[in-house]
Amino acid sequence: MSITELSPTTATPPLYERMSATKKAVVVRELSNLLGARYVLHSPYDLMLYEYDASIDRSTPDIVVMPASTPEVAAIVKIAARYGVPVVPRGAGTGLSGGAVPVYGGIVIVFTRMNRILHVDYENLRAAVQPGLVNLHLSNALNPHGFYYVPDPSSQRSCTIGGNVGENAGGPHTLIYGVTTNHVLGLEIVTAEGDILEIGNWTYDMPGYDLTGLLIGSEGTLCIVTQIIVRMVRLAEDVKTMVAIFDEMDDASNTVSEIIAGGIIPAAIEMMDRMILQAVEADSHAGYPTDAAAVLLMEAEGVRESVAEQVEQIEQICRQNHARSIRIAVNEAERQLFWSGRKNAFGAVGRISPEFYVQDGVVPRTKLPQVLRRVEEICTGYGLRVGNVFHAGDGNLHPLILFDSQVPGEVERVRKAGHEILQVCADAGGTITGEHGVGIEKQAEMALIFSDTDLRVMQQVREAWNPNQLFNPGKLFPLPGRCADMKQL
Amino acid sequence: MSEIETLATAMHQFAPTAQVSTEAGVLQNYAIDGVLPRLLVVPETVEQVSQAVALANQQGLNLLARGGGSRMNVGNSVEQVDMLLETNRLSHLLEHEAPDLTCHAEAGITLAVLQAQLAKVGQRLALDPADAKQATIGGILASNASGPKRLRYGTARDLVIGLRVVQANGEVARSGGRVVKNVAGYDLNKLYIGSLGTLGLIVEANFKLHPLPVREHTLLLTYPGASGATETVLDILASQLTPSALELIDPGAASDMSDFFGLNLPTNGYTLAINFEGRLAEIQRQIDEARVLARTHGALMADDLEGEDQTHFWNVVREHTRGTVTCKVAILVSHIAHYLEEIENTCRRHDLEAAVVAHAGNGILYVELRPSDATPRLVEAIRELRRNAQEARGSMVVERCPPDLKRLISVWGEPGSEFYLMQRLKQQFDPSGTFTKGRFVGGL
Repeated sequence: MSITELSPTTATPPLYERMSATKKAVVVRELSNLLGARYVLHSPYDLMLYEYDASIDRSTPDIVVMPASTPEVAAIVKIAARYGVPVVPRGAGTGLSGGAVPVYGGIVIVFTRMNRILHVDYENLRAAVQPGLVNLHLSNALNPHGFYYVPDPSSQRSCTIGGNVGENAGGPHTLIYGVTTNHVLGLEIVTAEGDILEIGNWTYDMPGYDLTGLLIGSEGTLCIVTQIIVRMVRLAEDVKTMVAIFDEMDDASNTVSEIIAGGIIPAAIEMMDRMILQAVEADSHAGYPTDAAAVLLMEAEGVRESVAEQVEQIEQICRQNHARSIRIAVNEAERQLFWSGRKNAFGAVGRISPEFYVQDGVVPRTKLPQVLRRVEEICTGYGLRVGNVFHAGDGNLHPLILFDSQVPGEVERVRKAGHEILQVCADAGGTITGEHGVGIEKQAEMALIFSDTDLRVMQQVREAWNPNQLFNPGKLFPLPGRCADMKQL
Repeated sequence: MSEIETLATAMHQFAPTAQVSTEAGVLQNYAIDGVLPRLLVVPETVEQVSQAVALANQQGLNLLARGGGSRMNVGNSVEQVDMLLETNRLSHLLEHEAPDLTCHAEAGITLAVLQAQLAKVGQRLALDPADAKQATIGGILASNASGPKRLRYGTARDLVIGLRVVQANGEVARSGGRVVKNVAGYDLNKLYIGSLGTLGLIVEANFKLHPLPVREHTLLLTYPGASGATETVLDILASQLTPSALELIDPGAASDMSDFFGLNLPTNGYTLAINFEGRLAEIQRQIDEARVLARTHGALMADDLEGEDQTHFWNVVREHTRGTVTCKVAILVSHIAHYLEEIENTCRRHDLEAAVVAHAGNGILYVELRPSDATPRLVEAIRELRRNAQEARGSMVVERCPPDLKRLISVWGEPGSEFYLMQRLKQQFDPSGTFTKGRFVGGL
């Protein structure tokens, strides 16, 4: 049995019929009374902007709302519940798995107006923020005081903390510090019933189930997050960023394995292969060689003495693995240049291909060399070009498969290649997503790593929190009674 | 035949190698708050655990898991435990992927045995709760036990990357996996950790590991009052220093440790123990800077510990979180000094004594109250201490106390407004109450 055939766990069939024009008019009126007409979008022209995120799926919402407060969010959820309309929260729409795409239409809640830092407690290293706050804006606000917020997805200039919580976002610097779930202590949420609840706390070890941990990464399917309590971290006194250039992909992969096996855990180890290097150089001129097979971008940070020692050890391992050259950024400007190449890599690839599809598999770090070879073989087999830019230190791959949806059959080949890559990751003892989320596209692949029992247990959670399945339906796993739809997606 | 006998017979039949006992003499050693389980089952394999749970479930009986038994008295007392399932024969380290810094172990392995095996290749699981020789990883995870080094490495939720858990119907479900980064599906690891066995029975765990430190050093500082010590803690947290532990020991606890464990701690002031791990150069500089910083807050003297003395010291500190009546308080670090005053006031009012050991950098305090038989006064004191913690955005759990006292107090405190969602989870995971109900928050 595949997951698409899972038996329904609920007796109530969910309602996902598109709203009729009459019903929509009624709901729009109610929402307009609540929020003011300018914060309720419903014309096809206005809605178009909200039909996609950074993934390859799209679907148009019926209504888009922009609340300014938690009580407004609760009221929206109650209205939606009354009319049986799906609700999908949306941050900046930078998600890579379709988390913000309203598969069944309904109401999309956009958090751009709830983007404030509510409180910063520098003594206890905590901050309370609203979900619409842009990730980088939080660090920018904390930096002058010597602190920052650690999780730094590549989209951090636009993605929001609320979206990060929804997807349990990572980023290059999560290697030593962990991902979103390791930096969030508490949440204010709106439940499917429209209740406003505080989950977790400013302090550690609240008695009871760790609901904060459960909700982070639940992709909008269990609750709507309206406030987040985060931990902040002291900016390190010393940061050294280095680039090592390799003529063989295997040498670069082995370097990563050996660094980790040696017990050296730097702040970041990122890898870019030749295709990515060429794209990045054409775009941002970060100074990467375009003829190398792979480049490792590594960062050590912390106490001066430990940074110096780490850099020395890393250099040694790179040389043992035949690095062509190793460069350490001489100043902050050069460091930023190195990183700009990495952080703009996805954008840069946009210059050489009309479209690309990014996967997010994770493998044990020792398996990197063989898995990267398989990825290349799979894509070549489908006649597709692939580039790799990824968090090598975590074993978190991001193969970018280039394609052009105008070419007949190409999208299908891309999906097949993507599926095979995830199969390889699963076979290597890994997982199908390290930080982008399951969303729409990876639901079928859940069966590669989870049994029917595993998935049934997860369904119980959704059943407990979102019994009428109105929160972000069509994500994570197929809905009871909606199997046919899933197969078409 | 009684239902228990039926169950015992069935267990024998399905799992002949599992140890099954209904003898009072044996069960006597497994009493929980004075209540004897009706049946003891000691399975050898995960399949046998699964069978035992399925049988209990089918017979409408309840079961409770036991690891090393060091934390069985945590939580509310229950009236009846039908089956006690001991996991100590599930004690294998299944895989240790050393170059990946991960491992996969059965739940019944003790922390000490696991650490010894990992240490062979210079690695460790960075969890350091009390009683590593007795405590199993299953019990540590189920009760979310932690220790002083959580300051640097976090708690179980930060180190567990995968679990296998026997569900209420006996099926075995996996959550997470064996890689260090994974967002596939709901993060059920977080839900099981600290759920005290109310949602499922943890049988295997995958962990993220850390290298053993090249060097370790502990700086002991003494302060005439609590505020100098807590100001030092706040300054260190805001500084570049990266200690692994920041432990605060009050005069009461210092006096116990000196009297009973041969530590030489001053008993007329507060001791702050700062643990650094790393390479020599980075440690040395941090020790020097910490000393300078401590002096500005009136630290009286500085002593250093390394090697065996250091190991002994931290063992004693960890054990001191397990008195006869011990409350675990979680508050903000900036409130610790004030809270210590409140403890003193409360104890004076009720003619009690307190001994406090705190993971000061995390705002976690273990408050031992004495004498442990002053029941009515303890009830009042516990109420006051909880109220004070809650007023400071914190919480308080009575982790250890005699059964008589337990009946008169709230172990976990009143559940919050989100409690109905916890109830719904319990209802979904364990609809017929197979996992002994009542021990956890709000009677979960």
